[in-house]
Amino acid sequence: MKHRERNLFIAACTLPALALFATFTLYPFGKAVVMAFYDWSGLSENPVFTGLKNFRTLWQDDIVWQALKNNIFLLLVVPILTMAISLLFAALLTQKRLTGKSIYRTVFFFPNVLSIVVISVLWSFVYHPTFGILNSLLEMIGLQEWTRAWLGDSSTVLWAIAFPMIWQSVGYYMIIYIAAIEGIPADIYEAASIDGASGVTQFRRLTVPLIWSVMRITIVFFLIGVFNGSFAYIKVMTNAGPNHGSEVLMTYMYSQAFNNGNFGYAMAVGVFLLLITISLALLSEKLTERDSVEY
Amino acid sequence: MKGLAGKQGRASWMLWILILTLMLAGCSGGSSDPGTNGDAQEPGENSGSTGTPGDKTFDNKELNIAVFEGGYGNEYWKAVAEKFEADYPGVKINMTSNPKIMDIIKPQLVAGNPPDFIYVSPDENTGTIKSLVKEGALLELNDVFEGKALDTDAPLKDKITDGLLEYMEPNRDGKIYYAPNYMSVLGLWYNKNLFETKGWEAPKTWDDFFALGETAKSDGRSLYTYQGIYPSYNESVFWPAVAAAGGTEAMEQALSYQEGGFTQEPVKQVMGVFERIAREDHLMRGTVALNHTQAQTEFLKGNALFIPNGSWFESEMKDAPREDGFEFGFLGVPVFNEGDQPYVLSSFEAMYIPKKAKNPELAKEFLRYQYNDDIVKLNAEKSKGVVAVKGAVELAKDYIPESAYNAFKVYDEGTMPLMVQWTQTPKSEVIINDELFNPLSDVMNKKMSADQWGDKVEQASGKLRNLLNP
Repeated sequence: MKHRERNLFIAACTLPALALFATFTLYPFGKAVVMAFYDWSGLSENPVFTGLKNFRTLWQDDIVWQALKNNIFLLLVVPILTMAISLLFAALLTQKRLTGKSIYRTVFFFPNVLSIVVISVLWSFVYHPTFGILNSLLEMIGLQEWTRAWLGDSSTVLWAIAFPMIWQSVGYYMIIYIAAIEGIPADIYEAASIDGASGVTQFRRLTVPLIWSVMRITIVFFLIGVFNGSFAYIKVMTNAGPNHGSEVLMTYMYSQAFNNGNFGYAMAVGVFLLLITISLALLSEKLTERDSVEY
Repeated sequence: MKGLAGKQGRASWMLWILILTLMLAGCSGGSSDPGTNGDAQEPGENSGSTGTPGDKTFDNKELNIAVFEGGYGNEYWKAVAEKFEADYPGVKINMTSNPKIMDIIKPQLVAGNPPDFIYVSPDENTGTIKSLVKEGALLELNDVFEGKALDTDAPLKDKITDGLLEYMEPNRDGKIYYAPNYMSVLGLWYNKNLFETKGWEAPKTWDDFFALGETAKSDGRSLYTYQGIYPSYNESVFWPAVAAAGGTEAMEQALSYQEGGFTQEPVKQVMGVFERIAREDHLMRGTVALNHTQAQTEFLKGNALFIPNGSWFESEMKDAPREDGFEFGFLGVPVFNEGDQPYVLSSFEAMYIPKKAKNPELAKEFLRYQYNDDIVKLNAEKSKGVVAVKGAVELAKDYIPESAYNAFKVYDEGTMPLMVQWTQTPKSEVIINDELFNPLSDVMNKKMSADQWGDKVEQASGKLRNLLNP
């Protein structure tokens, strides 16, 4: 009797959330996958089933492959640099003798509380070809020939977009890493110092292995975050230009759905995107499979 | 959660949620029947009267209109709704106006519960109007234009600007789905005052144009700039130049995806002009990375001699900083040889009645009403816009900026109007206008030649050709 009551109570508690999850997550999710097999403008009440046609188009669409290439560039550059820089900051800011720690923390974290659109507008002025601070600085130190239209040149546009993304997220990951590092008992470091380990060795041999489980989680965050977060930056800063130079799958999917009235195809791009994200997540899990050290 | 991870999936969730909403709306609206269809009665065959609309009665007196709130604002729509309600006692107009009007009414359109009347540009960036055309979801308006105008005895079509009505048939099949309202003229602009003080001539041919390039350089200016990350602004130079070089047939050949449409000589010549601007460094530095406001501001500050834009230019930039003595001058588009017929691009915005409108008769009446002379004038007064009826430029003269008035006047000086309308195709992943103009950034960065540009567009055009003739 008691058992049944308990089950009822559990069901009553979970059902509302489950219903919401099903309506707002599972159903649209499934619907998106299904629509990838239809020819649908987003307006008509009768989508036409076209089987794999959208996927065949996708296979032959050069822009998709260029977008994927750009996606992969951002996926490699942004996480690696963000991780390196935020780890460095975290390691530095946990040093005992550093003064003004809290100021640095605030300053580094600050970009994170700004909206992405604000950051994008800000940086497109930094990159402004005639009065942008970047070109002006280069001119000031005599590197005239280095100045260029950073966002208008297909050879620099992706770096120019990657940089604000890194700038924005470093602070956040720094805080996560600081929290992890501060959880490590101090006596371990003391012992290492007595044994004569240098700061760098301590970082490599102690800090990294001990916070490895946290770093692993952040890698998955990075992958998913870059895949989806790049959309807003690109939309505001370059509108996927010049000539698809900063097109990523998200922006292409958006323009097919909302500018070209081709929802079926956009969903096919979405499914493709989903497959890549899932496989990347699995891959990163596998690659980082290494036992974290307990203390 | 903040940071990159916090944005995890947000955009895609939003997309899915949107789709979900659309689906739900679709389910609930799908079965609703148009039972409330208010068929209008037109007693006494309108008794031949003019300008006294009050003698028509409509069963359904409620009209829902959805209007785009853009450069022309919504003051006019408020005023005309009020006037219409006064002229047609008992009629009630419910207006929705918004800069993102299509996003707002899209759920209603999907649910089969559309407004009775829509105003927006046919090229609005959600592609919804084009989709509605493809779905056959707009009401045919031939009877409106064949029938009498409200304030004259002649058919309404006689009031519309010459040659415009054929563009109101997006499928070119004799069925009119668009009703034109605001017209604009597009072309190159320059600083009239600067040219006068320096004693420079406004160029008539491309040779004159490039000759000015060196003059500009020695004056510390560039010859040309455009709205960088939106390279399709260059259409107002591209198409008139093609027409000047090869006649409107050459342009039509390209716009209908015929074989060789983008590798033919006139198109190559025009692409060559853009290549030359790049090769001889006539493009203002950094142009490719600027957005439209930034590029236009640079132009006003005197950093470039020419920029493409439309007759809305002066109103659009009224608060922007500019060079001392700046004066808007409309150039049009140069030709290749002296004596060639010059062309200048026009564009229009339009009004539509969805097929599933609940009150199509009253919507049609409201549509006819738009073209009354006094309403056209009211429109110019409130919106500073020129409506596509004969003589509208003069009616609007007192209200529109002088530069806009002068731009419209080029048609009185031997320049032929031109309009761009790509042939409609079945649904495709190819966005042809982007395919045409996006490579321009690479051309301007000297990473692509004019020939490569032409070949690339020809390839995209071929995909659409195959869809048209499977």
